Amino acid sequence: MKKILAQAAAAAVVVMAFSAPSFAFEPEATECIAPANPGGGWDFTCRQVGKTLQDLKLVPGTMQVTNMAGGGGGVAYAAVVNKRNDSNDLIVAASSATSTRLAQGAFPGNTMDQVRWVASVGADYGIIAVAKDSPINTLPELMEKLKADPASAPIAGGSAVGGWDHLKVLMAAKKAGIDDVRTVKYVAFDGGGEAVTQLLAGSVAAFTGDASEAKGFVDSGDIKVIAVLAPERLEGDFASFPTAKEQGIDVIGANWRGFYAPGGMSDDAYNYWVDAIGKVYDSAEWKETMAANGLAPLDKRGADFQAFVQESVSDIQAISKEIGILK
Amino acid sequence: MSDRILGGIGLLVAAFYIWQSTLVELSFITDPVGPKTFPIMIGIVLALASLAMIFSPDANPHWPQAAKLLEIGISAAVMVAYVYLLPAAGFVIATALAAAFLSWRLGAEPLRGVIAGVAISVGIYVVFHLILGLSLAKGPLGF
Amino acid sequence: MDTLANLGDGFLIALTWQNLALALLGCFLGTIIGALPGLGPSNGVAILIPLAFTLGLPATSALILLTSVYYGAMYGGRISSILLGIPGDEPAMMTTLDGYPMARNGQAGEALALSGIASFVGAFVATWGLVFLAPQLVNVALLFGPAEYFALYFLAFATLGGVASRNQGKAAFAAALGLGIAMIGVDGQTGVPRLTFGEVHLYDGIDFLIAIVGLFALSEVFVFLEHRGDNDGASEGKMQLGRVTPPASMLKETSGSMGRGTIIGFIAGVLPGAGASLGSFLAYAFEKRLNDKKGTFGKGDPRGVAAPEAGNNAAAGGALVPMLALGVPGSGTTAVLLAMLMALNITPGPLLFTQQPDVVWGLIAALFIGNVMLLVLNLPMVSIFVRVLLIPTKYLMPTVAMISFVGIYGISGSTFDLIVMILFGLLGWVLRKYDVPLVPVIMGVLLGNAMEVNLRRAITISDGDWSVLVGSPLAIGLWALGIAGFVLPIIVGRYFRPVPQVNDEVAEGD
Repeated sequence: MKKILAQAAAAAVVVMAFSAPSFAFEPEATECIAPANPGGGWDFTCRQVGKTLQDLKLVPGTMQVTNMAGGGGGVAYAAVVNKRNDSNDLIVAASSATSTRLAQGAFPGNTMDQVRWVASVGADYGIIAVAKDSPINTLPELMEKLKADPASAPIAGGSAVGGWDHLKVLMAAKKAGIDDVRTVKYVAFDGGGEAVTQLLAGSVAAFTGDASEAKGFVDSGDIKVIAVLAPERLEGDFASFPTAKEQGIDVIGANWRGFYAPGGMSDDAYNYWVDAIGKVYDSAEWKETMAANGLAPLDKRGADFQAFVQESVSDIQAISKEIGILK
Repeated sequence: MSDRILGGIGLLVAAFYIWQSTLVELSFITDPVGPKTFPIMIGIVLALASLAMIFSPDANPHWPQAAKLLEIGISAAVMVAYVYLLPAAGFVIATALAAAFLSWRLGAEPLRGVIAGVAISVGIYVVFHLILGLSLAKGPLGF
Repeated sequence: MDTLANLGDGFLIALTWQNLALALLGCFLGTIIGALPGLGPSNGVAILIPLAFTLGLPATSALILLTSVYYGAMYGGRISSILLGIPGDEPAMMTTLDGYPMARNGQAGEALALSGIASFVGAFVATWGLVFLAPQLVNVALLFGPAEYFALYFLAFATLGGVASRNQGKAAFAAALGLGIAMIGVDGQTGVPRLTFGEVHLYDGIDFLIAIVGLFALSEVFVFLEHRGDNDGASEGKMQLGRVTPPASMLKETSGSMGRGTIIGFIAGVLPGAGASLGSFLAYAFEKRLNDKKGTFGKGDPRGVAAPEAGNNAAAGGALVPMLALGVPGSGTTAVLLAMLMALNITPGPLLFTQQPDVVWGLIAALFIGNVMLLVLNLPMVSIFVRVLLIPTKYLMPTVAMISFVGIYGISGSTFDLIVMILFGLLGWVLRKYDVPLVPVIMGVLLGNAMEVNLRRAITISDGDWSVLVGSPLAIGLWALGIAGFVLPIIVGRYFRPVPQVNDEVAEGD
């Protein structure tokens, strides 16, 4: 019933659009593709932003969330480029994982300029942490230990080898003067929660992940954050933790969340979406969502965001080449 | 005898599997076990199990006649066609056609099969799309 | 006593008319979702999250709705397992082994009612476990490092031979097939694609849901196509539904099985790396090893229904322990619930119980309410469910096939997945002909990656030293249990026990 009403409302909006052409683009049946199964970060981005768009009445009716899992986002990326290139009602959830894979050529035949990058909705900064009773207290101490004997300090993270959590440690190791960063022992787990648990169980020496993943354990005092990979100290619960930069290791690791749209989207539609996502970002409601999920501010829109992603892709390409993931 | 054939196929699959596993490219950094070891171990277990079937086979199962095999093959082909028809014709039409076919092949009279097909298709559409809100394939007609 | 006072407060929060209505709605939708092949608890919860948002529910109410769906789906999974031999979701897989034969013997009603009661017992006891033991149980979860998990998976596969087939070689063949399929996709440890043949759709691996729906549901369609005309109309008219309540003697006989299943399932649920499927599997395996003196398991033994159903529902309760206290989801469903918690501004972690007691205790109270509601809802509905068996095959099987397609397509939106599912359907038909059991295939697909990564994590941490696998008393204990309890009897038994006769196997395989 709800659905029918929503469709009727959508139809009404469309009719109004014809009679009152004050906007250059009117969305019809809006859709957000989450390039993963329900429950993950991308799915969450789509659903949360979709809900806020709806609450702010920026889209007619409900925004449909379509899950298109596969290839770490590659299936959705290829589908958008090949099949949905002209769609004006479509946005797709993306994050640092998307730009990492694009940079490392993990979406065969696809590059970042085949789509239009819309806007970011926040960022999750990286942290490096140890268990509360660990003898290690600062990032330089951990790096010294790695330098002396890499095998003595296995580091756990929630992404695969070569993925974002791993790259963050390697970038720090590189900056700390470890020449062959491949000797750093990284153990991949399924998500940050599992990695933290193994830190508590004593299986590993340190944890690399995002601030939001570690929040519960930081609050309880079970883990010690030895470095935040942000340009400045974070607000709130994480304010007491030093950045890596403060400790003389200049590394920033931001896991951003945002959207891209099909490459063939009209300029009017593109501007509409940039504006709509921007309004979501500015809303009080979204501020709450960000706080609840440990998201830090990262406000890039339109051309700005396009340039930001471009830069992030080339950065990751550079470090991947340096480390040897890319030839 | 049938078991021995399956065992033989199993051996071939195991050999192919182990061969493919050795071809996995190593990445720049790897753990002591590496991505090849476990698949190779699985391949060996598969080979051993296949050998067990070859050396102590069970009695033959009752294989259907060629006509029945053809029937199963055609039904599988119809399912494949259905999969490709889904995005083109939309959920309701494609599903009605496929369900009608299966219903007919399972013994319904043609007309009743068509009615059943339409009923099944619309019923699923109502439950899954309208009530549960799943996104089903949209055809040119919007459903 | 604090605990009970807290629980009392929880009930005060949960017991409003609106929340009760939501629990009822959740239980009902969950049961339906659980019963439909291809849609399991994790999809069910994910699908209904937007509903919770749209209704603008406060945190506690939203959680009540979604946990009711979760428990409801765990209940519902057994329905299609028993009636059709097709597991409605993966933890209900073990229920097909004895539940479906019971239905074929004309005991469908008893099997459904018994499994409903077993589900209730498992979930009820597990919820009490959650109330009193959650803090201590967290420490149990911390005992399990990668080496211990590897030993646990070994134990699971060691039990396979005794469970699924009389031919150990075929059980091993099936398990290796499943494990082999699990290896397909990008290797989570190093990021290299394995056995994908350059096909980008295979990079994420093959979802076990596709395997389970293809192997069980579609292959069933092929089996019916093969046998059409063999006994036209003969079986349809005289299908017996059985009583809708189990006799007291059956309850008495199965009470021990429920108890053991509950304990095993609960422990498996608490371990983030194990989960409900492993819980119900181990519950069934132990029950069979313990009680299958006359070879009745697999032919419709009520104990073979009670143990895994108590096990998987107890595991569902147990899985909430690591999710709430560690923020580690032990299963797909708890992963979705976790995402939901975060969306509601609730950060799981060691402090959740002290920082937000109203949410935790409201949730626990909701579990009790949902549980009682499910029992009350399910027992009378048994007589409705069994009527599914009265639908002629020619209409029922196309419906099952189409629901299978929709379940997979609606979640992943991928035609590639559907093609893979059809291939699994054909594979399932062939394997059935050969009397190769299907359960080990699914076990392999489900657990293969976890087994491998834990082996590799253990060896990475120990720096290449394989002895770490037997490096703790717990790991040694698990290995010993696997070898002494399951592997040795198979080898030794060959020489001391008369081999069970295989003559009836051919007819039964069809």
